[in-house]
Amino acid sequence: MESLSVPGNLDSLGAIADFVKTAAAAAGLDKKATYKLRLAVDEVATNIIVHGYEESGLEGHLQILAELDDKTLTIVVEDIGAAYDPLQHMLPEDEHLKQPLEQRQMGGLGIYLVLQGVDKFIYERQRDRNLNTFVMNRPTTAEP
Amino acid sequence: MAFTATLETVSEATSKIILSGELDASTAPTFKAEVEKAAGTPMKRLVLDLRNLEYMASAGLRVLIYAKQKIGADTDLYVVSPQEPVLHTLTVTGFDQSVFIVPSEADIPA
Repeated sequence: MESLSVPGNLDSLGAIADFVKTAAAAAGLDKKATYKLRLAVDEVATNIIVHGYEESGLEGHLQILAELDDKTLTIVVEDIGAAYDPLQHMLPEDEHLKQPLEQRQMGGLGIYLVLQGVDKFIYERQRDRNLNTFVMNRPTTAEP
Repeated sequence: MAFTATLETVSEATSKIILSGELDASTAPTFKAEVEKAAGTPMKRLVLDLRNLEYMASAGLRVLIYAKQKIGADTDLYVVSPQEPVLHTLTVTGFDQSVFIVPSEADIPA
């Protein structure tokens, strides 16, 4: 299991992206799946940094873990911010996504992209920590 | 990957912002600043050259919403030559309904 700890500010997004790309390469994910996973982790990490830490005046780290098994790559992002379940916040509905941009609300697009991009997303609160888990299925060996 | 956003005035009617690198929440303010600069001058269309933009998070989408609201509904927003994953993000979020996505600048009316 690989892990990374970074300070909770936006300058850390680059290091998080590099960590996810390295894990995706080790898992044999293709370019498209790698992009989607990186995007999903980036969106959640951004939410944690902006809302969980900066807007709350809280200083903390993000802990990123990568775990590989035969079938899946799992990335876990942990933080010590207030309990925040991204899935409990409004997801844009189809109607909303059809609205012209000049009438759009800003919120909800990030978590929408998370759910579009990964095979499984799980949120858990464990004691004083938020755990956001992203699971990608690894490619199976192509049939001859 | 370094992010850059460069504003160019193409003609009286057209302004262009060339984006390259990776657009996430840490680099979106640079893009937003160029949009603000562009919006200071009246124009018929704002062209975003995305051919060298390798990554875009929702922070980039929020700047697009901001741009559309700032330049006004009468000004057309063109997105030129987005790379495949960026195009996918624009499509799944319905942004392709509000901006003109074109393969090259030759497809933009003069």
